[in-house]
Amino acid sequence: MLRSVFTKTLRDERRALLGWGLGIALLALWMVLLYPSIKHSLPSYTRLVRGYPPAFKALFGLSDISTADGYLRAELFGFMVPTLVVIFAVLAGSDATTLEEERRTIDLLLANPIRRGRVVAEKFAAVSTGLLGIGAGFLVVLVIGAPAVGMHVVEHRLVAATVSTVLLGGVFVALAFALGCLTGRRGLSRGASAVAAVVSYFVGTLAPLVHWLKPLRPCSPYYHAIGVDPLRNGLAAGHVAFLVGVTAVLFVSAVVAFERRDLAV
Amino acid sequence: MNAAIRTARLTKSYGRVLALDDVSLEVGAGEVFGFLGPNGAGKTTTIRVLLDLIRPTRGRAEVLGLDTRAGSVEIRRRTGYLPGELALYEQLTGSELLRFFANLRDMRDLGDAADLADLLDLDLSRHIRALSRGNKQKVGLVQALMHRPELLILDEPTTGLDPIVQQRVHRLILDAKAEGRTVFLSSHALGEVEQVADHVGIVRAGRLVAVEEVVALKAKAMRRLEVHFADGIDPGRLRGVEGVRELHVDGRVARFAVTGPMDHVVKTLANLPVVDLVSHEPDLEEIFLTYYADADANTDGSAGDAA
Repeated sequence: MLRSVFTKTLRDERRALLGWGLGIALLALWMVLLYPSIKHSLPSYTRLVRGYPPAFKALFGLSDISTADGYLRAELFGFMVPTLVVIFAVLAGSDATTLEEERRTIDLLLANPIRRGRVVAEKFAAVSTGLLGIGAGFLVVLVIGAPAVGMHVVEHRLVAATVSTVLLGGVFVALAFALGCLTGRRGLSRGASAVAAVVSYFVGTLAPLVHWLKPLRPCSPYYHAIGVDPLRNGLAAGHVAFLVGVTAVLFVSAVVAFERRDLAV
Repeated sequence: MNAAIRTARLTKSYGRVLALDDVSLEVGAGEVFGFLGPNGAGKTTTIRVLLDLIRPTRGRAEVLGLDTRAGSVEIRRRTGYLPGELALYEQLTGSELLRFFANLRDMRDLGDAADLADLLDLDLSRHIRALSRGNKQKVGLVQALMHRPELLILDEPTTGLDPIVQQRVHRLILDAKAEGRTVFLSSHALGEVEQVADHVGIVRAGRLVAVEEVVALKAKAMRRLEVHFADGIDPGRLRGVEGVRELHVDGRVARFAVTGPMDHVVKTLANLPVVDLVSHEPDLEEIFLTYYADADANTDGSAGDAA
């Protein structure tokens, strides 16, 4: 596990990855196991939700809960799982380079013949790999668990919604990296990324209801990842391209910023 | 190529604080160069520029004939570096840390690490977080030396080491020199630099005040002595002995400074009943004040805080 910066970063993060991966997978398992016992009451629950304020429904992805899709959207894909994934993304992304600077281990790491940009790239790859692993664990639970309890779900739609969520996480990993590489400050990277996530979430979910937010909606990663409902509509090239594109731009910014700056001053 | 390190008018400022001011320095290949100055004088700043961890505000630097910015990766391939503010990966063991760095250097094995650890009496199987400060410093030394680099940049290498280990480190430095490698050694202790260096660059408040041969510097070093005599001796007899300055007599105790050779003082004392003799480490600050105060006169002192 000490072959490269990539593997060492995974090694350093192994406990966090295990914790987040298990946590999110168990959440999925819990929701799946709960389904048989509450599915009969879901129609009445849906009637109840119908009376909720539209903003509340939009924020938490509550719509038609009587179907298996609607249940998964309300309990997992609409709010909980994207939120957890983005929190993981911000924490892992903001730590990756700033901790080396704060602890001053960057001096020794960069005493070795390795480019700064490559350090950023390998660390980014490691956090992204962790994110993929978390997504994969979650997906496996759903794909195996949902049919087992009699949920009517389309497998590739589950894949689409999970991939979308992981891509959303990627955007915030890259944002936290970019801010950390630009400033060297962990708190700043964390705080600003978290604020951006919250704003993006509100814009992405409330825009259909608030007319002055509507023009902003295409800027929100949440809109492209969650708002367009990949659980129902599958992946669309345009939305995926937006998420991947923003991630790429932020990643390149991180590399450029880290190459240029005085480190650990 | 005959210079291992060459800086040209290197200047580094942080906002209004001038950490390095117009430092032009040359270190010949194969020599041990002592970079001497009090804490905060700019030694670490200079070294971090050489490693391309920070970028100069003005001026440039070459290491092993390569520009520190354009050639940084190649420079670091051929250099071993011990940071002044050493921070290691605490969660790894010593050998894990060395294996990681050896991998980053594409080394097949750990090079000289095992021999170095033996010499320094260091247990590589322990977690770094469980090591004392001195042992951490040894891990830092081993990683700097294990790939047999042609240039060693050591920032205060003997910090936290006991005197015996310090001597071994000095031995390692001299061995490296004997093999034709270059050592750039920063230190705040004149005594240390005297023992191993060929040339000494004296830095103060961000400015390179002087570059001297060690022999010349030794001649300038003022040593403070304190001599306790037996009853009935007038310490005033030291008055007028060649090299004795600032003589203060207090009962049977004489306190004074000696510059240049000790010969006359020792021969005078040899004829007197001496009870005790205390010699203090030559004080860098005194050398500054005595010899380089003029060169330093136009400094405003604002660089004093920058490390």
